[in-house]
Amino acid sequence: MIAVLLAIPLAGAGLLAGIRGRLATALHAATVMATLAIGLAVAVTAARGTEGVALDGFLRVDALSGWMIAVIVSVAALAGAEAPRYAGDGAHRAFYPLLHLMVFTMLLAVSTDDVGVMWVAVEGTTLASVFLVNADRTRASLEAAYKYLLICSVGIAIAFCGTVLVYYAEVLRQQTAIEPAPHALRWTGLVAVAPSLSPRVLALAFVFVVVGYGTKAGLAPMHTWLPDAHSEAPAPVSALMSGVLLSVGVYAIARFKPVVDVAAGPGLATRILLALGLLSLAVAAVFLWTPSNYKRMLAYSSVEHMGLVALGLGFGGVLGVSGALLHVANHGLAKSTLFLLAGRIRAAYGSADIGSVRGLVTTLPFSGRAFVVALFALLGLPPFGLFVSEVMIFAAGFGHGYAWFSAAALALVVIGFAGLLRAGHRMLLGVNAGAAPARPAWPGAIPIVAALAALVLTGIAWPPGLDDALALAAKAVVP
Amino acid sequence: MTRASTFLAFVALGITLLLVWRQSWRGRVRLYVAQSWVLAALALTLGILARRPALVVVGIGFAVMKTWIIPAVLRRMARGSPVRPVSPGRSAGLPVLAAGALVVAAYAVMLPISGAVASGVPTRTAIPLAFAVGLIGLFLAVTARDALGQVIGFLVFENGLFALALLATYGLPGIVEVGAFLEVLVVVLLMEGVVVQIRREHDSLDVDRLRELRG
Repeated sequence: MIAVLLAIPLAGAGLLAGIRGRLATALHAATVMATLAIGLAVAVTAARGTEGVALDGFLRVDALSGWMIAVIVSVAALAGAEAPRYAGDGAHRAFYPLLHLMVFTMLLAVSTDDVGVMWVAVEGTTLASVFLVNADRTRASLEAAYKYLLICSVGIAIAFCGTVLVYYAEVLRQQTAIEPAPHALRWTGLVAVAPSLSPRVLALAFVFVVVGYGTKAGLAPMHTWLPDAHSEAPAPVSALMSGVLLSVGVYAIARFKPVVDVAAGPGLATRILLALGLLSLAVAAVFLWTPSNYKRMLAYSSVEHMGLVALGLGFGGVLGVSGALLHVANHGLAKSTLFLLAGRIRAAYGSADIGSVRGLVTTLPFSGRAFVVALFALLGLPPFGLFVSEVMIFAAGFGHGYAWFSAAALALVVIGFAGLLRAGHRMLLGVNAGAAPARPAWPGAIPIVAALAALVLTGIAWPPGLDDALALAAKAVVP
Repeated sequence: MTRASTFLAFVALGITLLLVWRQSWRGRVRLYVAQSWVLAALALTLGILARRPALVVVGIGFAVMKTWIIPAVLRRMARGSPVRPVSPGRSAGLPVLAAGALVVAAYAVMLPISGAVASGVPTRTAIPLAFAVGLIGLFLAVTARDALGQVIGFLVFENGLFALALLATYGLPGIVEVGAFLEVLVVVLLMEGVVVQIRREHDSLDVDRLRELRG
């Protein structure tokens, strides 16, 4: 089942590389649907407490992996539904194959049990998405792609360094240990031997891991590539990058955290994550007040939300970690919806400047309203899920003795909130002079409505089993 | 084994310092090739002394890729660039001094590995040297004024980390090693594509011209 899940987007990417026209769109749709169906099936199985193992333990899906798979396939389905508007000839010919390749690398990163292969997969996500960022071939998108490739390659190389140090710690342990050495470094094995790993080596390794994967996760101060890449990429790519790719970086950090907590004491990882989380909130709060471009605004909001997720992981405990994981899912749905709608707004107004968008709701009756609703969800207002996950994260903060710290973080969130609200307000008001009102097409509304409905579900009506699934997933991070 | 690995890592570091000092492009590529030969020799030496046949294979693959394929791509990228980097007349003294400071920093950071630990692999004394190569490469990438300089900096950085991985683990599992090789190759090829396009758009590789995206 897990092997099939990985094979589908990979095979889809391979086939789509050679197909054009209407057949390509049909095959793309089939790949998206199959990935979604099997991904959710795998996730549900894992959430019920059955670990899925495939390929001799190379792939292992526990509740945490299952959670990430569910988020990835959901956001991929949203982005995939919008992709036919962007795929085409010329530079866009590689759009479908690269999109599915990106989904494949993300799924591999979260479902492999091998520490090294996870690194390979995360690097693969960058390589698969560079040309997607530059799909429009403008000067700005070229610059964004170059920065993205260079900064993320450096980041991922730093993560490689951290991974090597973890291997080194394992080599040291084997010199003193009696039991035979395992063939490769597996998460399951690493967690088991964590108490006998060298604390100083592991502490150093974790610093590299956080800086490296934190670059991919868009945590400040390593976030500098993010606003450029996320704002210049075509909407479905922005949705995937902002909605899940960042979270895959966080996932990698979360996998290392329990090992480091046991080997080097719990204080270290918490301090680093809290510092980076707060800095991300601060950077985002500043830039959310001075946006000129609504896609950049959404990108900075991603920095803010990744900061919140880092805080949740840092506060720790089952409450903090499950809050962080729920936030990953909520943010993924809300942000990808917003990016897709931003793409439609851009198509209607011909510009991504906030100043050029006026009278949003009269111009785009459906997309405009949906944009406002999704923006409210992103702001963390009830009845949407982000409200619940933010409450969980801050409850963990106040409950675990970080009262002052949490208060400061909360203040920064409020500042960012106000900035985002102000910009949204400017886009809504006014009368649109240029563009003619667009007639809404109902098929395009289905995925958007589904995503918003799912956000209401995680906000006020948790489906049965969700709390158990979250707690089980959090157990993988809280030893 | 300690002596051989430390010597080779030291030579690699020396080449890196020369690379910081050299301002000409072709010279830098040549030094990069020389450094890659030294690191391939390091892999072979470790493979023979530690009886790890896989490492010999890694060393040969490394030599083919970094002394042959990647330099060829680099020269293709450089076609049409001025021999010297964009801002002439800058003294090389300050960067070399900074590189020296980075060597000290590398020793400080890697203290938990090279220092107090009584046990450990015999090659551990060379690990800070390899890390210093990586740090200096990163420094080159960050301070470069043109896209080509950034790419070379990144490649030196990558070489340093390869040496670090070699010295710390005597070779990672095959799939990771292959993955890492492929990544570098793909990154360089992608870079070439992007750099060619930057040149077409901006008529220059000066990164100061990349200033569309702000705020």
